[in-house]
Amino acid sequence: MIEVEQLSKRFGPVTAVDGLSFTVRSGHVTGFLGPNGAGKTTTMRVILGLDAPTSGTALVGGRRYQQIIRPLHEVGSLLDATALHGGRTAWFHLLSIAQSNGIGRRRVTQVLQLTGLDAVARRRIKGFSLGMKQRLGIAAALLGDPPVLMFDEPVNGLDAEGVQAIRQLFKSLAAEGRTVFVSSHLMSEMAQTADHLIVIGRGRLLADTPTGRFTESSARADVLLRSPRAGEFARLLAAHGAAVRAEGDGGLAVTGMDAPAIADLAARHGIAVHELVPRPASLEQAYLDLTGDSTDYRAGKPAREGTPGQ
Amino acid sequence: MTEPQTRAPRAAVPSLPARARDVLTFEWTKLRSVRSTHWSLLIAAIFAIGYSAVAAVVYTTTPRPTGAAAATVNPLLVSFAGLLYAVLAVGVLGVLSFSSEYATGLIRTTFAAVPRRLAVLAAKAAVTGTVALTAGELLSFASFFLAQAILSGHRLGISLSRPGVPGAVLAAGFLLFVCAMVGLGLGTIIRHTAGAVAALFGLIYLPAILYISLPPPWNARIGRFTLTISGTQVIALHPHNGLFSPAVSMLVIITWTAATLLAAALLITRRDA
Repeated sequence: MIEVEQLSKRFGPVTAVDGLSFTVRSGHVTGFLGPNGAGKTTTMRVILGLDAPTSGTALVGGRRYQQIIRPLHEVGSLLDATALHGGRTAWFHLLSIAQSNGIGRRRVTQVLQLTGLDAVARRRIKGFSLGMKQRLGIAAALLGDPPVLMFDEPVNGLDAEGVQAIRQLFKSLAAEGRTVFVSSHLMSEMAQTADHLIVIGRGRLLADTPTGRFTESSARADVLLRSPRAGEFARLLAAHGAAVRAEGDGGLAVTGMDAPAIADLAARHGIAVHELVPRPASLEQAYLDLTGDSTDYRAGKPAREGTPGQ
Repeated sequence: MTEPQTRAPRAAVPSLPARARDVLTFEWTKLRSVRSTHWSLLIAAIFAIGYSAVAAVVYTTTPRPTGAAAATVNPLLVSFAGLLYAVLAVGVLGVLSFSSEYATGLIRTTFAAVPRRLAVLAAKAAVTGTVALTAGELLSFASFFLAQAILSGHRLGISLSRPGVPGAVLAAGFLLFVCAMVGLGLGTIIRHTAGAVAALFGLIYLPAILYISLPPPWNARIGRFTLTISGTQVIALHPHNGLFSPAVSMLVIITWTAATLLAAALLITRRDA
């Protein structure tokens, strides 16, 4: 479990993280979303004790990271897959990290097999592809068999097969009851992996919600309506507080009133309805709506759609 | 804050020696698993032994001063001719210890594995220092014996049993350790390999240039506070009168080393990784 409380981080005049609070729970893959420069990496660095927060706290398992002895047994992380010494072999890279936390050689062999790197373990990292470096980074994160795992943009630059493998891994890690916290700037990626989303923009919390309910926070969800008496019905809907927008092909896009209410209204006034389709906003669209506005991040009312079930 | 989930049972807190062993093996494995370490030591060996041998041969063929000047001749210095350059190779080894991690970004992996940054600095100092001191003493004695073997063929050699000689040879090896530690400190402070190596060059060679270009007695008065001039004093057979005594010079050297590492320690705990 990761608890971030009123976290702020300023670099000179730039505020990278601004009063951010959220909790990442175990047993879930939690997506950490935000446009580039939103403060995701900075937040993760503060959680790992690499950057000191300007104010606020970040706790892992109830403690500050720096207070954890042999922290790799508690938290496995991958911030930058290319942060490697090219002249070192994969084996020595992992062995050194294992030794730093009193982890034996057998576990090094295990994680190499787990990530499919055993055949190249004795090769220098210089010759590794990005995908191999990602796997090496994941192998390092898994060394201590930690209950909390944190990955920053782990699928950047991976091919489709690699992305698929990583998604499966995250899901199985979460299924084992671990806390899996994964950042990304792409909703399309998180939509298929994460079951909970924490969305930030300009260092502030925009949404903290189960993935399934994320679109509810978007104003884009509407109802498509077709009726032979469209003009009359539009005025009627407007009179009842709904917003109606005419679509090019004669349909009406209704917001502010759900499909059953529209159907009831039509029945009460004897208006025939030929088509009535609730159109949920796509996750992608909801995400863009949420983060797209550069001036108003609706930070005052983040869409807290409750917490995931325990 | 309540935490409803059951956390994985935490292993018993390891003892302090166990944790020290963790971070020492961590740094030792990193040091021995990259080629730059082997190259630095090889270059140090070639410079120290090779150049000293060449200097010894040249010494046998040059005319010796006579009269009063003969008393100040130091056949020992020939043995150390190459060490002046070997210090750089070992110094770079010290620089790379931290600067290569900053350059690659590996420093964040290191600090995530061992959040106690002073422990990391101490382990790097211990591991690099042990290697540098061992290499330093081996090379110092090797170049001494080689150079003296060449010189003794011409009845110019100097015996290890002569007073002051063992101390000077030991001190020469120690200077390699000093350079590795100053390099480590500079690499930590500056965080860029090229910048730190340039600073190391300056720290080692500027005092020598200053000493040559300033008029006496000012060259000695200022020079005695520098690392380089103090270094020549501790390996001299006939200490220079205008400088500090070899013992005080050694203190100057240790102060420089300690100050660099202290500055590194202060910065490393305060800066974001």
